[in-house]
Amino acid sequence: MSLRRDGRLGAAWIVVLIVLPFAAAIIALGIGRMSIAPGEVLDVLRAALAGKHASSELIEKTVMQLRLPRIILAALVGAGLSVSGCAFQSLFANPLATPDTLGVASGAAFGAALGILLGFNLIGIQLLGLFMGGAAVALTWLAGSGRDRGGLSYIVLSGIMIGSLFSALISFIKFVADAESQLPAITYWLMGGLDKANYRTLSLGAPVIIAGVVLFMLIRWRMNLLPLSDDEAKASGVNIRLLRGVTVVAATAITASCVSMCGQVGWVGLLIPHMCRMLFGNNHLSIVPASVSFGAVFMIIVDTMARSISAAEIPVSILTAMIGAPFFIALMRRSGGWRI
Amino acid sequence: MSLLRIENGSFAYKSGPQILKDINIDVEPGEILAVLGPNGAGKTTLLRCMMDMLHWQRGRSLLDGEDIRSIPASRLWRRMAYVPQARSAAVSYTAFQTVLLGRSSRIGAFSAPSAEDMKIAEQVMERLGISHLADKPCYAISGGELQMVLIARAMAAEPEILVLDEPESNLDFKNQLIVLDAMTALAAEGVACIFNTHYPAHALQRAGKALMLSKDGKSIFGDTTAVVTEENIRHAFGVKALIGEVETPQSIMKNVVAVGITGESGPDTEADGDRTILASVTVIMRSNERANLINNAFREYNHLLIGRMGLPHRRSDKYIISVMLEGPVSDIDALSHRLSLIPDISVKTTYE
Repeated sequence: MSLRRDGRLGAAWIVVLIVLPFAAAIIALGIGRMSIAPGEVLDVLRAALAGKHASSELIEKTVMQLRLPRIILAALVGAGLSVSGCAFQSLFANPLATPDTLGVASGAAFGAALGILLGFNLIGIQLLGLFMGGAAVALTWLAGSGRDRGGLSYIVLSGIMIGSLFSALISFIKFVADAESQLPAITYWLMGGLDKANYRTLSLGAPVIIAGVVLFMLIRWRMNLLPLSDDEAKASGVNIRLLRGVTVVAATAITASCVSMCGQVGWVGLLIPHMCRMLFGNNHLSIVPASVSFGAVFMIIVDTMARSISAAEIPVSILTAMIGAPFFIALMRRSGGWRI
Repeated sequence: MSLLRIENGSFAYKSGPQILKDINIDVEPGEILAVLGPNGAGKTTLLRCMMDMLHWQRGRSLLDGEDIRSIPASRLWRRMAYVPQARSAAVSYTAFQTVLLGRSSRIGAFSAPSAEDMKIAEQVMERLGISHLADKPCYAISGGELQMVLIARAMAAEPEILVLDEPESNLDFKNQLIVLDAMTALAAEGVACIFNTHYPAHALQRAGKALMLSKDGKSIFGDTTAVVTEENIRHAFGVKALIGEVETPQSIMKNVVAVGITGESGPDTEADGDRTILASVTVIMRSNERANLINNAFREYNHLLIGRMGLPHRRSDKYIISVMLEGPVSDIDALSHRLSLIPDISVKTTYE
């Protein structure tokens, strides 16, 4: 499984990257308070695909109605946050860039918190999250552009400002929220969790994430131009403004969709792309598909742990941080630092 | 019509002085143009304006007579390629992947490099002698090697014009020679090269044409021997410099030694260029490859020639040319300089 000179993945890796998420999903479908063997899970799925009912109604309901939407959501969020983290890192040529860099995550979180405060239903909360995530990017863009000389680092700085502005607004919402009912709901949601997953929420958020991921897969070789300096990028003969614009919009839309469906899940967008960079080098031909696959697998595993370690569900962002931080430090020490 | 031309190019940064004023240059295929000038005179700015990365305030750049601003980027950057300073370049990819990026303008948005793109990248690296670096990450190679990788990336676009921003700065003696030799070899194959440099000697040794910028916005453009003179260096750099010659067994190389800082420009020394003298030029070619370039040079200065003798040495497949000249000193100087720029040959001129 050595690296290829052209930056493409070898056949063995392609098989691994395709099989791994499905294997993780099938195993995760069987784990929970009611344990189901992978064989039975496959029977249920086969029956569902054929449009028939499985032998046991209880097992079918657990797999198809409770666990499957949640695992699909976990896979989408993991893949989406990883690939947009990868895109932001390359766009800013900054290894610490995350989907939060542009203030998107904070903006979307503020929108969703506002939705809970106003008593919106789930769809309303998602839409408001999407809207505010977009507004945060627009504000960041307005604050950071118009100065030729600062370049991209200017955008990162203003992203941090806008992010902290929206964090303050979230605190304000918590402050005015009803301490009995709304405050716990908002606080719990901000910690991140996939327990709200159902097919209806998925049908709203999934298309955006899937479209973004497919787009990044299609332009992945060209994404290699993103970290280049301005003059080098222009001299490539490619419309670099368009490429950067498309990257910002797609990564932002993915992030806002993820946040509005399951709160702020940290670490994934930083951890997974770097893991892929350490494994495969920096060529986007391989790290984009690898980020998609490993991101999905990582979130499926973490979310399965979140719902099955204890009787009470643990917020997923607590787990991502507890797993992510030490894992990341170990990876970083072994490969001698990070680079974009 | 020249391959690349700047007409009356002028530029000033916002709230800054006019740094480029009425720049006019012409570059033909296979020519090397050196851009000289003190720090802050606008050498890099000139290159960026020329390539339309900055916009001229007045004047324009023309590629084959067509205004560069009206040429679509994808078409422009197939004909022209840019080699940035090694220290300002992104260094995250392997050398081979970096070179492959040079093919970008020829690869569609949704595609990856084809087998042909890969082959061209490999050939370019082979030609520049850096194939052994292919799988090394660019942050793990030396500054000189990185500069060669960046030149390879530019050449992978198969350009007609190569623009290099201080390609030999920050390099040691050997790496400077490697980079300059690569540029000279590319020019001999017909690629026009434009490079910024801090070394007047490199202009004299490598470039047929030179543009010298001063801080006051004035510029001089022309044949290198006419531009890089002790007088012009004193004016542009405020430095008293001596231009001398160093003789090697193969050729005579011009060299520039800075001897002191001067405040004002001294009295102009009267040029002696019009005096008619006799001279003889001897050229030894190690292969027939450069015969065309040599013949072109002699054809251009035909009026100086009073006798010519070519002698093939069959056993070793080498060739000796001896030419007798009569004419103004400045013309003989120019021809002898022109010949000294051709790679892989030995040239010496003996004056009366």
